[in-house]
Amino acid sequence: MKIKLTWKIWILIIAVVLSLLAVFGTPMSFFQKGVLVTSVEQNSTISEQGLKQGQIITEIDGLEIDGLENYLEVMQEKFNSNQSVKTILKTKDSEIILFSKNPPPIIVSEIPKTNIKTGLDISGGSRALVKAQNIKLSSSDAEDLKKVIENRLNVYGIEDVKITTITDFSGDYYIRIEIAGTTPEDLKNLISQQGKFEAKIGNEIVFIGGEKDITSVTRSGQDAIIESCQESNDFYFCNFRFTIFLSEDAAKRHSKITDKLDINSTIDGSYLSEKLDLFLDDKLVDSLLIGEGLKGRITTQISISGSGTADTQEEAYENARNEMNNLQTILITGSLPYKLEVVKLDTISPSLGKEFQNSIFLAGISALFVVSLFIFLRYRNFKSSIALLLTSLSEIIIILGIASIISWNLDLPSIAGILATIGIGIDQQIIILDEARETFSSLKQRLKRAFTIILGAYFTAVVAMIPLYWAAAGFFKGFAITTIIGITAGVLITRPAFTDIIRKIEE
Amino acid sequence: MTEEKNFKKKLESFHDKYYKLLLLIPIAILVFSFIYMFVFYSNNGDFIYKDFSLTGGTSITISGQIDAVKLEEALSKKLDEINTREIYDLVTREQTALIIQTKTETEEAKEILEGYLGYKLNNKNSSFEFIGSDLSENFYKQLLIAILFAFGFMAIVVFIIFRTFVPSLAVIISAFADIFMTLTLVNIFGIKMSSAGIVAFLMLVGYSVDTDILLTNRILKRYEGSLNQRIFGAFKTGITMTLTSLLALVFALIVVSSFSIILTQIFTILVIGLGFDIFNTWITNVSILKWYVKSKGKE
Repeated sequence: MKIKLTWKIWILIIAVVLSLLAVFGTPMSFFQKGVLVTSVEQNSTISEQGLKQGQIITEIDGLEIDGLENYLEVMQEKFNSNQSVKTILKTKDSEIILFSKNPPPIIVSEIPKTNIKTGLDISGGSRALVKAQNIKLSSSDAEDLKKVIENRLNVYGIEDVKITTITDFSGDYYIRIEIAGTTPEDLKNLISQQGKFEAKIGNEIVFIGGEKDITSVTRSGQDAIIESCQESNDFYFCNFRFTIFLSEDAAKRHSKITDKLDINSTIDGSYLSEKLDLFLDDKLVDSLLIGEGLKGRITTQISISGSGTADTQEEAYENARNEMNNLQTILITGSLPYKLEVVKLDTISPSLGKEFQNSIFLAGISALFVVSLFIFLRYRNFKSSIALLLTSLSEIIIILGIASIISWNLDLPSIAGILATIGIGIDQQIIILDEARETFSSLKQRLKRAFTIILGAYFTAVVAMIPLYWAAAGFFKGFAITTIIGITAGVLITRPAFTDIIRKIEE
Repeated sequence: MTEEKNFKKKLESFHDKYYKLLLLIPIAILVFSFIYMFVFYSNNGDFIYKDFSLTGGTSITISGQIDAVKLEEALSKKLDEINTREIYDLVTREQTALIIQTKTETEEAKEILEGYLGYKLNNKNSSFEFIGSDLSENFYKQLLIAILFAFGFMAIVVFIIFRTFVPSLAVIISAFADIFMTLTLVNIFGIKMSSAGIVAFLMLVGYSVDTDILLTNRILKRYEGSLNQRIFGAFKTGITMTLTSLLALVFALIVVSSFSIILTQIFTILVIGLGFDIFNTWITNVSILKWYVKSKGKE
């Protein structure tokens, strides 16, 4: 039997093939071995050597790497002694040679098998919605604020972050922050803390956070360390210390203020009569003794210290490191222009998300299975039933394809939208199928009528979705988007093709 | 075959005789719904029971097997308006996680839970969702506005498609009845609605008019066969559509109820809504249309 395909069916086939390409990439990438670099530490040797986010490491020391587990094994074996070793990393088009005691400061993951990106509520990560407290922001205010937060997160060392400003029906501006993967413990502070840093001697401000007063902040090496950990009563505390460099203006201020101070001599040494008090958002963080040698001197180099405490030494160390990083970040980026309020904060565990994905898949498959059984029982026509199912499947593929092309993150609302679309799609195909089985007038005429009904249903569904695009700070945008993509693809591609397929079957 | 024909004939004459009276059923249900909702609103000051996503609060998902009843008993005084739900593996029926929803703020709730469980909650063993009360209030208002707009837009499109007053109104009335009856039943069941649940109502706006459009189209825009034949033809197609959707939804509902509160709620509302849709399309809408066509003598 020779079947001649009409152009509408060809369009469907082409759309499905293109969508499959969009979802899976080229067949080559599907079989690609190695691990994907998802982040590289800034200013590290390896980043200077040219390793970038998005590259794929295929070999280590000539050994082929076929996955994340393999990579971790190899790395652990190489760096189990505390000695410098040579590592040769091979990517597609470069080779990087390193000598180090520690594994390269990069984060890698499995190469994703598809281009489908899932939302944070599925893949894990965190998202926050922040708003200025007591002030209505303009759109440019919101953009400025976004830049400051962006800078702060980058300086803190969070790489995979997406920040957007959003507005809703009532014209309120929000900043949405999305971080994939592991969430930093103190994310809430990091984004909402105003971070007004002031170093005072008595009541006089010596310097404040931000680049005007602070030219640079040491972040690694001997000048930024966690010095010591001690046990005290029931808890542990660890001290950190790092060096900052003041601008000339700030240094002069420092000299002027310290010049007026007296010198107190104690057994521990001689210090000035007043301390350097460090305030963060008007709270005292630390008070530093000022050595007598600094009196009246124009010094640009200042040592900042503080501590982290916890029940165990390990946690105290971790806390101290976080505190230090936080303080460094604020000193570099300065304070936020407004007091912020975190109005929504979700942190989703990646492991919980994984189970989710499988269950959703199961839900979709079981629904589709039941529907096919029902359709077959109702029509008792194998060809039509199969055509209906294949068309619905191709619709899912097209939605996923378009979602991959526009890099839309499929979150739960988006998936609910896809399920809804498939429901609408099957309904409309039933209309076509039933019209084709009527006996009045010509088949062509009847199918044309089916299309008037479908178009009517299409427009009502689309207009019902449009308000959702803006409502609720865009949290349900995904639902509107996948539904609109799905039913539009349906009306333009799959339904016309299905009509032709049914015509072929019926003729 | 003759039996089937006989039955069809009987059904036809029954319907010809009583289709106006049949309208009393939806009217009675609507009146009941209005009274129920009026009382509901005066008691609760709102149209629905809200969950944490609309009142503000925290939802915490903790992996592992944790006894929901014991936890609720122990913490009901400490955590404001606590609500729990177990998540389980669909095959083994073993609990995999517990969801705890409360009006209490995240940090505080976390501490209380850590105290109860005796271990720290972190990124690996738990998920947190927090929404401030102002924002959730805001979300609620906006989603209501979105539904009103969606309904209004839908009504306009229906008028544009049919360009006749009574039939268009019939479609809109039955869509409204779907939504309103669903809302009433959801409240009778005492379901605490989330923001996603409201979105389900929005879906209902789109879903419920499908069969009404099919029906109106078949009756007004074509002349083959008698009025009753056209109605019956539309019914056969329409009921297949709705039953297919219902089947798919019920099966998906069984699966998703094991792991997602959000999807469970969306699907539950849709199942109720589609159930009412069968009723409102094939009784409410059909009766109004039949009345309209007969009075115009367009049979």
